[in-house]
Amino acid sequence: MDAKPVHNPIQIDPVTCIRCNLCDWICPGDLIYKAEDDRATLPVVAYPDECWYCGLCQSICPTNAITVVFPETMLRNTTDVATLLGKVVE
Amino acid sequence: MHVMSGFTNLETDVLVVGGGVAGSMAAIPALEAGLKVVICEKGKVLDHCGSIGCGVDHYLTVMDTGPEWDTPEFLLKHVPELTDYIVDMAVASRVIHEMPRIFRKIESLGVDFRDRQTGDYYRLRSFGLPGAYHINFDGTDFKKHIGERVRKGKATVLMRTMVVQLLVKDNRAYGAIAFNFRTGEWYTIRAKAVVLAAGDVNRISQNASGLAFDSWHIPYNTGDAHAMGYHAGAALANMESVEATLTPKGFSCQGLNALVSLGAYFVNKAGERFMFKYDTKGENARRAVIADAVINECLLGNGPIYLDCRHLPQDMLDRMEHTLQVDRYTLPAYYQQKGVNFREELVEVSVSELSIRRSGVYFRGSGLAVDTNAETSVEALFAAGDCATVSGGISGAAVLGHIAGEGVVGRVGGSSGVLPPIDPSAIEAIRAQAADHLASEGGMPWKAFEDATRQTVTDYVGVRRTEKGLKLALETLNALAKREPRLRANDLHGLMRVHESKNIRLNAEIMATASLARTETRTGSAHWRLDHPQPDEANWRRFVIVERGAQGPTVRTLSTERPLSDAFARSAETA
Repeated sequence: MDAKPVHNPIQIDPVTCIRCNLCDWICPGDLIYKAEDDRATLPVVAYPDECWYCGLCQSICPTNAITVVFPETMLRNTTDVATLLGKVVE
Repeated sequence: MHVMSGFTNLETDVLVVGGGVAGSMAAIPALEAGLKVVICEKGKVLDHCGSIGCGVDHYLTVMDTGPEWDTPEFLLKHVPELTDYIVDMAVASRVIHEMPRIFRKIESLGVDFRDRQTGDYYRLRSFGLPGAYHINFDGTDFKKHIGERVRKGKATVLMRTMVVQLLVKDNRAYGAIAFNFRTGEWYTIRAKAVVLAAGDVNRISQNASGLAFDSWHIPYNTGDAHAMGYHAGAALANMESVEATLTPKGFSCQGLNALVSLGAYFVNKAGERFMFKYDTKGENARRAVIADAVINECLLGNGPIYLDCRHLPQDMLDRMEHTLQVDRYTLPAYYQQKGVNFREELVEVSVSELSIRRSGVYFRGSGLAVDTNAETSVEALFAAGDCATVSGGISGAAVLGHIAGEGVVGRVGGSSGVLPPIDPSAIEAIRAQAADHLASEGGMPWKAFEDATRQTVTDYVGVRRTEKGLKLALETLNALAKREPRLRANDLHGLMRVHESKNIRLNAEIMATASLARTETRTGSAHWRLDHPQPDEANWRRFVIVERGAQGPTVRTLSTERPLSDAFARSAETA
C-alpha cells in the first residue's frame, strides 16, 4: 500500500516560498513540517494522503506560493453511490 | 524513539479537551470566574472552527426580536417533532432559552452577524425549522474573535497535544494524560473539572472518492471524547443515529445549508425535482430527510442526482458563491479544476460518507449524555459540542459550551478536598503501550486497520441495517480490537493516528451495539433497519444508552419523557 505513488495535494513553489512556517503552523492535520528558523529548507508535505483539502495553508501563505491540487478521483469521480449504501443482509 | 523524553505534571482548575467552538466557549466563563484553564488541542490554532477548520456561514439562533416564532417557547414547542421525539427536552429547553443571551455575548466578543450590504441580519429558513432562525453571514472571523478572548484570558493552550486517557476515581474525573506528537512530551494534567469538546466522529465509513481523509467535516475529529468518556464510565446516547449530507460527487464538503436556504434544487437523472415526494417542505426539509431522499432515489435507480442552481438570479448566485467559500475555502478551486460552472451547469452530487454527529436533525445530538449543566454521568466531567447529546452545529456548540463553562465554575466552587494522586503505574502503562506501537515493526499499519473498520461500517452499520448484518459487524469489530496492541506507528504523528484509529473503531462498535438494540426505523436513513422498517411509536420513544460493561458495551433504554440524567448514578447537584 505504501508503495503506490501518493498524490501531492499541496504544491509549494520553491521560488516564491519565503520559508516562513505559517503553513506548518495552520495545518489542522499536522501534515506540513517546516524546520523553524531555517531559511534554507522548504516546507515538507509529510503525510499527503491525510490532507483534507481545506486550503488553510493556501489561504494563509503570504506570497501565494501554495496551490491545492485535487486528484482525479475527486474531480472526475465514477463511484456508484449505491456501493456506499451498505450490503443487504437478510 | 522520543516517546519517553520529557514528562510534565500540570495542576489546573479546568482542563478543556479541544479548542473548537464548544471548548473555547466553555473556557470563557471559567476564565471570567478567575479559574486556571488548560486547553489541549490537536491542531495548532484557536482561530478556526473545530468541525470545519474554517469560518462559519450560518448561525442558528432565537433572537427574541418580537414575533412569536422568534421566541424560545415557539422553537421549543417544535423540537419533539424536529427530532422525531428522540430528544432530551430538559437540556434542549436550557439550550434554546440560553440562545439569545449567548448570541449577544458572541456579538460582544466582536463577531458581526449583520449583512455587510444592508447592515441588518439576513435570516433564512432551512432544514425544516419552523422559523427563519439561520443567520447567513460572513463568519470568516467568527472563531478568531472567540479564540482571541480565550488568549486574553490567559488560558494555557497545549497545541499538537492529544489527550489519550481521562483520570477518574469513584466516578469523578480529576484530569487526564496527554502527549505532544511533535515533541513526544507526555503530560499528566490534574484538574478539578474536565470539559470534553473534541467533536464528532469522522473517517468511520467509505465515501465516493475512496480517500479516507476526504470527509464532510474535519477528518481529524475521530470520536476521541466519546471513546475517552466511555472508558471513564460515562453514558452515551443516540449513538445509533448516523448523519450524512449531499456533496459534489468526489469532494465531501460543506455547504448544503447555503444551497438549500438560498433556493437551489436537486434533480434526478430525468431532470425532475423529487424532494417534494419525501417532504412537503421540499429542499427546505431537515438534512436527514434530504439525504434520505437522495439515498432512496439512488436505490430506485433514479440517479445520478444533480444540484441545479440555474434558475437563481445573479445576485443570489453571487451570494451563494461567496457564502460557500466561507465554509470551504477550496470549493471554488475545486469547481475550477473540475471545469464546472455551477451557475450555468448541473453539478452531480453524492451522498457523503456517514458520521456520528447529530443524526441530521437539530437538538438530538449523538454522544456523551449530559444534564442541564452539560455534565456527564461522571462527576466533574462535562461535554459540549458535537461529542455531546442535544448539542450540534455551531450554535449548539457555542451555547452548550458556555453552559458547560458555567457548570464547571459551579462544580469547582463546590469541590472540596484534595484531588487523588496520579497513579504512576497507569502512566507507565500508557507510555509502554505507546512505545510498543512505535516499535511494532511487524504490526498492522493503522491505515489498514482503519480501512477495515470503514468497510465494516459501510457494509453492515450504514444505512441498511439488519440484525444479522449488525452482529456480523460486531464480530469483525471485536476481532479488530484484538489487533490494537500491535498497531504500528512509524513516528509520533503516526502514534497520534493510532490512537485516533482505536477511537474510531470503538465508536463503530458503540454505534453497532446501539443500532442492534433499536428494533425500529427512525429518522429515515439515520437509523434504517431493513428488518424493522417502520417507526415504532408505541415502544421506541426511548433513548438507547450505551455504557462500558465488563464484556464491552452494554445497553439500557430510557423513556424520552425523562431527561437522560435520570439514568445517571451520580447526584445532579452542583454548588
